[in-house]
Amino acid sequence: MLRWLARRIIAAALVVFVVTSLVFVVTHVFTDPATVSLPLEATEEHRADRRAALGIDRPLAVQYWDFVSGLVVGDLGESFWQDQPASKLVLERLPATLKLVAGATAVTVLLAAPMGMLAAWWERRFADHAVLGFSMASISAPPFWIGYLLIIVFAVQLGWVPTFGSRGFVSLILPSFAIGLASAGRLAQMTRRGIVEELRKPYAVTALSRGFSRSYTIVHHTFRNVASGFVTMTGWELTRMFTGYTVVIEVVFAWPGVGRLAIHAIENRDLILVQAAVVVLATLVVVTNLLVDIARRMIDPRVELA
Amino acid sequence: MSTTNGDGRTERLLEVKDLTVGFPTRDGIVRGVDQLTLNVGSHERLGVVGESGSGKSVMGLAILGMVLPPGRIMGGSVRWRGEDVLDPAVAGRVRGREIAMIFQDPMVSLNPLKTVGSQLRELLKRRVGLQGPAIRRRSLELLDMVGIANAGERLRAYAYELSGGMRQRVMIATALACEPTLVIADEPTTGLDVTIQDQILALLHDLSTELGMSVLMITHDLGVVAQFCDRVQVMYAGRIVERAPINEMFTDPQHPYSLGLLHSVPRVDRDDGELTGIPGEPLDRAQFPPGCAFEPRCNEAQDGCRDAPPPLLKIAERRWVACYNRPAAGSP
Repeated sequence: MLRWLARRIIAAALVVFVVTSLVFVVTHVFTDPATVSLPLEATEEHRADRRAALGIDRPLAVQYWDFVSGLVVGDLGESFWQDQPASKLVLERLPATLKLVAGATAVTVLLAAPMGMLAAWWERRFADHAVLGFSMASISAPPFWIGYLLIIVFAVQLGWVPTFGSRGFVSLILPSFAIGLASAGRLAQMTRRGIVEELRKPYAVTALSRGFSRSYTIVHHTFRNVASGFVTMTGWELTRMFTGYTVVIEVVFAWPGVGRLAIHAIENRDLILVQAAVVVLATLVVVTNLLVDIARRMIDPRVELA
Repeated sequence: MSTTNGDGRTERLLEVKDLTVGFPTRDGIVRGVDQLTLNVGSHERLGVVGESGSGKSVMGLAILGMVLPPGRIMGGSVRWRGEDVLDPAVAGRVRGREIAMIFQDPMVSLNPLKTVGSQLRELLKRRVGLQGPAIRRRSLELLDMVGIANAGERLRAYAYELSGGMRQRVMIATALACEPTLVIADEPTTGLDVTIQDQILALLHDLSTELGMSVLMITHDLGVVAQFCDRVQVMYAGRIVERAPINEMFTDPQHPYSLGLLHSVPRVDRDDGELTGIPGEPLDRAQFPPGCAFEPRCNEAQDGCRDAPPPLLKIAERRWVACYNRPAAGSP
């Protein structure tokens, strides 16, 4: 188990390294941070000055070495929009994004698991159709639209929660739902289908034949066997959150997270800062996948120790 | 009808009457089990034998009031000591505690993600009501009863860590956990090595004698029936076609299908000449003939066989046959 874990961590570190290198290629080979950061009418002289200031007039190999050695000690370069270390700016915003993702994941799991079980229990009955309806609606609606809808109803009309910003737990509720509803919709359907299939399997039939109730069998026997897939899918949803939903929803709710920082960095043509944000988000995705692997290993002893 | 062994010690436990299970298909409703009638007395080992698709497994679950969707029980009754098992409240009490089932494939019939110990524990705790250290004590005792050495260690094992024979022993231990009066064993030895098959059969035989349990043995294997059962019923296309004490079934089979079954089994104790199979194939169940289901494969078929399925009639003491060519007792 420990050797397996060590191998997984080394593999994850390698993936982070490759991904960050790709980010470097995009920001330094395909584009020129100096040109991007300057107005269109800037002279060649201005650009040369900016290049020298950013150190990108040096050979690519040297720059790459700088980038990688900086990465190891957590130095992601200077933001020229904010005049501060990019890593500091990103890490300051990170807790807000993690809070948001945690809230959205809680919404996802706490809605999807019971809804999937209920739909499976009442297969082809009203509850099943109702859950299917919810899933279709939540999957089809774009998260930013759900976000605005929630703001209009719960913040503006009812006044229960603030419309935007990050002031304590209450302000976390709406953005968490805006992100989590679609994920919950997808996961509920997966859970339902998984349980319905598992209920026909011999071990579930055996449990029922021993006199365990349908609800006990669903919760204690089949859900466990669906859990591995459930965790994997939750990991995917987390990935989507880090790389897409949080960015959009942080803008909608003026949430001070990494996503909104990335958007501002793009608006201000601060490629170094964009690069830092992408590196951090990519790392989070890799860490998520690592945690999913560990969780699956704990749920199912048959998972290969490869 | 009488199903007692005639020695007076038996009590009628399970009475199934006209049980019919239907599965909707595109071509209409297919009857997996058709007007099944069957009785099991105490201390009795009854065999139900038939080929794949004859409805044996559907029957086993239906006796517990269970049918996999989209199938459903369309008629008939199942009584356990006089109580209606098709009533969910009664079923909840009877399942596991009074009637326990053993399934064909112990690899997939044990929960793959629970240890042997936790599967026994949940039964002993939730179905028997044991608590604390008594649970572990009884678990060890059960594993010991089914002949598993190193019981303490095996409690921590998962099904995939055990051999096929060992898994079936664990399966039997979970069936015995609630001290059932009747065990329904659905092909319990299929898929096991021949030597292991014999061990499992011997184990079931010994346990049923020691614990005074009745067994309903569902199998396609006449050898298993010969070795294990007191009485046998032959099933074809969801219906019982013959019922007889074990010796008479082998010495004097009556139904053409039973005859065919016996002739297709090699015997070492007797020289019967060549083995003969049964011509034709099991029917596509959606295209049932209105008459006797065996008629298309039967070498004794006559015109009258195609009109309606023959009823199961008594032809002698403890002998029942469903065939127009076997006159019932009392008729000319």
